[in-house]
Amino acid sequence: MEPGGSSGVGSGNSGTYTPEIAESLRFEEEIQSLIHQSFDGSSAAGGSFTALLGLPANQAVELLHHPGPGEPPASAASSSPTAGDLWRLRLGEHHAATDALRLPFGGSSTFVERAARFSVFATDDSPASSSGGGLSPGLKAEPPDSDSPPTLPAPAGRPRRPSKRKECEKSKAKAVAKKSKSAEENTSAAKPAAEENTSGDKLPYVHVRARRGQATDSHSLAERARREKINARMKLLQDLVPGCSKITGTALVLDEIINHVQSLQRQVEFLSMKLAAVNPRIDFSGLDHILSAECGPLAVGSGCGGGASGTAMWASDTAASTGGIRRMPPPQQIWHLDLVHPQQSSTVWENNGAAHPHFLLSPAISLVGYDPAGSVPLNSNQLKMEL
Amino acid sequence: MIPSPASSSSGSRKKRMKRGPKARPGTKWRTAAQERVYGRRLLEALRATAALGPRAVKEAADSALAFTARGRSRWSRAILLSPRRKARLLLRTGSKIRRGRRRARAAEAGGRLRGRLRVLRRLVPGCRKLSAGSLLEEAADYVAALEMQVKAMRALADALSAAPAAAAAAEPGSRGGV
Repeated sequence: MEPGGSSGVGSGNSGTYTPEIAESLRFEEEIQSLIHQSFDGSSAAGGSFTALLGLPANQAVELLHHPGPGEPPASAASSSPTAGDLWRLRLGEHHAATDALRLPFGGSSTFVERAARFSVFATDDSPASSSGGGLSPGLKAEPPDSDSPPTLPAPAGRPRRPSKRKECEKSKAKAVAKKSKSAEENTSAAKPAAEENTSGDKLPYVHVRARRGQATDSHSLAERARREKINARMKLLQDLVPGCSKITGTALVLDEIINHVQSLQRQVEFLSMKLAAVNPRIDFSGLDHILSAECGPLAVGSGCGGGASGTAMWASDTAASTGGIRRMPPPQQIWHLDLVHPQQSSTVWENNGAAHPHFLLSPAISLVGYDPAGSVPLNSNQLKMEL
Repeated sequence: MIPSPASSSSGSRKKRMKRGPKARPGTKWRTAAQERVYGRRLLEALRATAALGPRAVKEAADSALAFTARGRSRWSRAILLSPRRKARLLLRTGSKIRRGRRRARAAEAGGRLRGRLRVLRRLVPGCRKLSAGSLLEEAADYVAALEMQVKAMRALADALSAAPAAAAAAEPGSRGGV
């Protein structure tokens, strides 16, 4: 589908499009379609973590396993404020519709008014609308009548909206721990926007209980919630980055993570240099065989056969075009470069289980007649040396 | 292409709620299927670059990676939507990355957590203004994706470099076999 589409676009428009531009066009279309899809319907999959932005960690972990009824999709959409214009429009439409659907919750008139107001906001600005959409489904049957002045005019709410979201998140922690008191605090300290938040938005949010012996100050509660969330994410990262589980202390773990990311990026650069060196003499038609051999352990037999015929074709083609001499130096170069970074390759292969490079090598090995020696890293290095 | 908001979004929302939480980045990126998907995209991208230089290859590989992420993570969206794909900007972004690395080492000294978070922000694309929590989450996804990218690229480079040279040596034998 994709190559056909890109070639169609390129030929349809003009002959001056380079393949890169055509590909970028195609990519952008597909990107936008993907993003629309993901935002409209399935933002929860990608965004369930971001949905837990406002949630403290312990409850967030629970929610990871048992997602709440309505909040992931909407608040996931809310957590991406950098959406493009198209996205905002889509979200606006989306949330206007869902707000209308979610109206009859508690059934009281205040809810209806509030939801209507949020849907008005939806056309203007997506974060508020999505926060409204996320909040309204989680409404609990708390009496909001006391401090819910449904008099907030729609346009005046616009400048307050970003602050509203922040207060929203803070007030989530506060309001739930000590409901009436925090509502009073918020109403006294902040503007009517905050009132509306704490009172009206029964966030599908987590109850942050003050533990025994800890300060029950609203600020420390919010801070503690934030800390717990950050610690949960750090734990995830620790599992991901090798060698971080032994390290205690957030700063050192972060150091390790940064080093790991930098080393991975460096490896990508190095491999891209290698691929660029290898690129010119490749006939891409035969590569699909290699790819299937690489990724399908079960298909090694057929992959070998396909790979053999493919590479035989390459050999006949490239022998005529490039000449045999040219083929020799690049493998030696590559061998040299690869041995310069033996540690990288071994660590990468240790991490990744080394299943794929092994199967990759087997077609090449079968062609040349080498015996697959014991461990995989040694295998590849030996192969390169002999080349 | 965009589904109508009223019916399909609510319907898909219900489906999404029933489906449960998404897989963690460690498990999501390590499947063989993902590597296959990325491998194919990488191949297409390489065909398109037609040896414009190593930086073009790297940009193509990163774009392919971000595309495989399906735009669900912030860094992938930042990569895809950045104006990187213009040919002239390739050089600039290449140099920008290197400069960032030097500054990263300098910034490490400034404060334990804050300084390192700043460094991390610079490393993960598109996360300049994120809060700490979402930054860590994006970093987790990014690390998993990078690992898969390195694995796939290494395998591809090995295949490309090993196979033709091997085929040259085995040409008489394989020709007879084919």
